Amino acid sequence: MAEGSSIWERLGFRRASGVGEAGWGHAVIAGLISFVYFLPVLIIIITSFKLQTEALAVPPKFLPTSFFGLIPDAYVFTPTLENYTSVFSRSMITGAAAENTGFDRYFFNSIVIASVSVLLALAIGTLAAYGFSRYPLKGNDTYLFVILTTRMLPAIVVIIPVILMFRAAGLSGSYVGIILLYTAFNLPFTIWMMKSFFDELSPDVEDAARLDGSSEAAVFFKVCLPQVVAGLAATFVFGLILTWNEFLFALLLTGVDTRTVPVGMNQAVAGGGIGVLWGLLAAIETLFLIPVFLVTFFLQNHLLRGVTFGTVKR
Amino acid sequence: MMAGSDRQALRLTGICKSFGAARALDNLSFDVAEGRFFVLFGPSAVGKTTTLRTIAGLTRPDRGRIEIDGRDVTHEPIAGRGVSMVFQSFALYPHLTVYDNFAYPLREEKVARAEIDRRVKETAGMLKLSHRLDRKPNTLSGGEQQRVALGRSLIRHPRVLLLDEPLTNLDAKLRHDMRAELKRLHRQFGMTIIFATPDELEALSMGEEIAVMRDGAVIQRGTPDELYERPANTYVAGKIGSPHMNMVKAVVGGDAATFDTPLGLLTPPVRRQSASPGEAAVIGIRPSDIRLAATGETAIQSRVHLLEPLGDITIVSLEAGGELLRMVLPEATATSIKPGDLASIAIDPNKIHVFRAASGQAMT
Repeated sequence: MAEGSSIWERLGFRRASGVGEAGWGHAVIAGLISFVYFLPVLIIIITSFKLQTEALAVPPKFLPTSFFGLIPDAYVFTPTLENYTSVFSRSMITGAAAENTGFDRYFFNSIVIASVSVLLALAIGTLAAYGFSRYPLKGNDTYLFVILTTRMLPAIVVIIPVILMFRAAGLSGSYVGIILLYTAFNLPFTIWMMKSFFDELSPDVEDAARLDGSSEAAVFFKVCLPQVVAGLAATFVFGLILTWNEFLFALLLTGVDTRTVPVGMNQAVAGGGIGVLWGLLAAIETLFLIPVFLVTFFLQNHLLRGVTFGTVKR
Repeated sequence: MMAGSDRQALRLTGICKSFGAARALDNLSFDVAEGRFFVLFGPSAVGKTTTLRTIAGLTRPDRGRIEIDGRDVTHEPIAGRGVSMVFQSFALYPHLTVYDNFAYPLREEKVARAEIDRRVKETAGMLKLSHRLDRKPNTLSGGEQQRVALGRSLIRHPRVLLLDEPLTNLDAKLRHDMRAELKRLHRQFGMTIIFATPDELEALSMGEEIAVMRDGAVIQRGTPDELYERPANTYVAGKIGSPHMNMVKAVVGGDAATFDTPLGLLTPPVRRQSASPGEAAVIGIRPSDIRLAATGETAIQSRVHLLEPLGDITIVSLEAGGELLRMVLPEATATSIKPGDLASIAIDPNKIHVFRAASGQAMT
């Protein structure tokens, strides 16, 4: 971290630096491309502030304001927070009293299940990766390959045996069950990622620590681990995004109490027979984006170093 | 052996180490007197690093015995050997500041905080790093990183300091400065230093004693002068001395005293007892032992090929009797000759080296 960096910079914000060396031409093109990629997210965010009628309007209403009459009324909608309040509480039958939708619980579940399983995978996977990197077994490459094969099949192929195993073990619908599953699900990726980070470290540095009197545990915790913080951050974020968005296993293996947001989202919009409530769906999605966005944002400096690791000559 | 301390700081006996099918150390034995600046010299992949790692305890030998200060440490853990090491790559802790790099070994030894602070500052002052204590290693120059690596090794006051090609990663100017710096530190602390290098200039200028390694074993050891004056074989003769020794094929004459060479008959004044008539030999002549012949002197006719002026001296490549020779002339003398000239040269028979052609060993 640069000296004299402000609290904001330490939190991950960057000082505005203009267009930099690239120049305006590149900046404009990059901006356009970014806009195209960001457009679906933007549409979701805008839709989350529309009522159902406005969400379905043709031509679509793009903007929440007419900019003092500059934009024709046909393209302007009236922003509302109604969708956001109905995420957590709304009347399920027309005219009935509002009731809790359970989404507060789903969000809590998503956060707990995703973060615990990703952290667990990170803890186990980092130790395994260090072992694979520093104490290679006979047939090391074969083991690593076998670990990866578990991720070669689409989830749908293994879902039935997994359901049967969970039934037999009494893990269906429990936190422990889904957390264990996601941990296993994240492990191969974590091991491969972290092994590549450990492989990049100079073994001389570890030997220097041994000569300086460090035990093997101290070598790992005081010397190796601090050097791969960027890798831990990158692996954590990638794992978190994968787990956060997982739908299939969550649909089939969580119960009412342990349901995650993607499953809840599906049920919130699919039921009722009144068509898809686009505004509500968009509001859930927007809320659903925020936690992962924040984590990624605050880890972005590490992330950048993590994903470019090894590409820059040290 | 040199005079001075007679206590052995280090003794290696019959060390063998193989990595798979590759034999790194082959019955390696040597000892080092306390306080000695001892150089392990040899090209890369000759076993120097493995030797140092074995002494440090990072590599376990397959066979053999390591004694430090008279104590057998062959099977002892790394900590407690009183050995520290500077790696060729410096191996600084990249996530720690210079201060914390220095403090690391002391913290692992559970030294009191105030004492750590005192010693870190003392070491930093000695190595002119006081203004760099809060920097991370990757923001330092190569020379500064080198000094941090040295400081981290010295701060524990090791009995034996191992230096694995510590100057190889520095540029020429810095290398020169660090040579002087290392000698100064050695004088100041008086610890035993084992210095591995593939550079003969470093070996000769720094070593009080040099062990020349080949194929995982020491093939000759001695002071720089001994190695230069009396190389035990063609390998050492070819490695020590710059420019390299001229090697000329020869046959031992019928009297077992003269040598028949393409340059004519050479008769060294000291008779080689082990020479037998008709045996194939190799004559070694240092480029500095060839000179331009004085008028009237028995001379060898040669043709000048190339001049390489190096400032105060000039290396002259010439051809005599079908052999390519190099000689070193003072710059003033060399100005009188140019490529293509004929030159009369003379070789001092006192200074020639004689080796067996078959084994490369010196004839005694």
